[in-house]
Amino acid sequence: MSFEDLVGTEGLSREEEARLRRMHELLVAAGPPPDLSPDLTLPPVPTEDADPPEVAFLLRRRRGRVLVLALAATLAAFVGGYSFGHSKGKPSAFTSIRTVAMHGPSGGASHGVINIAEKDAVGNWPMLLEVSGLPQQAKPSSYYELWLTHNGKAVAPCGSFRVNANTTRVRLSVPYALKNFDGWVVTTQDPDRNGLGSVVLTT
Amino acid sequence: MLPVSTTDGELIQRAAGGDRSAFELLYKRYSRPVFGLALRRLGDRGRAEDAVQETFASIWRSAGTYRPDRGPGAPWLYAVARNAIVDRARNRTEIPAEIPDEPARDAGPADLAEQGWVSWRVHRALEELNEREREVISLAYWSGLSQSEVAEFLGIPLGTVKTRTRAALARLAEILGDEFE
Repeated sequence: MSFEDLVGTEGLSREEEARLRRMHELLVAAGPPPDLSPDLTLPPVPTEDADPPEVAFLLRRRRGRVLVLALAATLAAFVGGYSFGHSKGKPSAFTSIRTVAMHGPSGGASHGVINIAEKDAVGNWPMLLEVSGLPQQAKPSSYYELWLTHNGKAVAPCGSFRVNANTTRVRLSVPYALKNFDGWVVTTQDPDRNGLGSVVLTT
Repeated sequence: MLPVSTTDGELIQRAAGGDRSAFELLYKRYSRPVFGLALRRLGDRGRAEDAVQETFASIWRSAGTYRPDRGPGAPWLYAVARNAIVDRARNRTEIPAEIPDEPARDAGPADLAEQGWVSWRVHRALEELNEREREVISLAYWSGLSQSEVAEFLGIPLGTVKTRTRAALARLAEILGDEFE
């Protein structure tokens, strides 16, 4: 639709018309902003990470940058080597490539976040699950289970855990092709009862 | 709660200091522009979603490298997003079945970069409009509805649709200033 149809020019000064027309052209050029999927409603949970990535500044690049980068690279190589030499036995840093937000099936205070790291060389997806607001287990033998869902049904178990505080973080790993599933749920599980427990968190 | 007038640069600096609320406000302002940029570049929603996640993880990690004396926050964020998206594009392993003989008619890298930047700034500016202004712009420009249909949909007179559209464009012009003159 044209500027004349959408906005009209009646009563606009030439200057104002030019200004609004420019905005009209920009909107047409930009196209519609895409709808965000539910997975993107929350920001990722920042995780501990080794080195920040290099960010090139777009507007003004300075002449000394190459020299600074060379010095930084030398320093990073030294620090990296030093850290590597002294990191044996420590857990590795977890770098999330995707974050999935979870919430209680009917709202409520409970929620969770699954941070998923790059698939490892043998095909496992390391995950860091953080849940908050889940009640402590009713029995010492009870636990929670994370599942992948397909068509809304919990089909692939991804790991069991217990909670003993308001926020609990656990590391899990799954070997499935994640793209074949459409969501995640956390259920309560009781070893005295067969089958799936009730869903306490969902995506 | 942070004031709405907090600049992007201030939010990045606060995020560098571990301020989660600043980081969340940045996410609110920029998740859609990043997603739009990624979707155009990668052509796949799943991969674009991953790029959004990676972009914001990078922003959190590298916020301390932002230098306000070198410019406002938007270009810095754009650079972070672009890097994350380019990385994801490089990681693509599928090999095209056929290599075309003819030169591509798609926009070249320079055009794509320019288009990406325009969309980025416009979508970011849209986030600053109030709900009523954003709604009328969205309906008027991208819904495929005629002006009369927009008026009917919103339950307001046709003249009010035009007035609101004008007001929204004027607000956009204020936000974007002379950036695209």
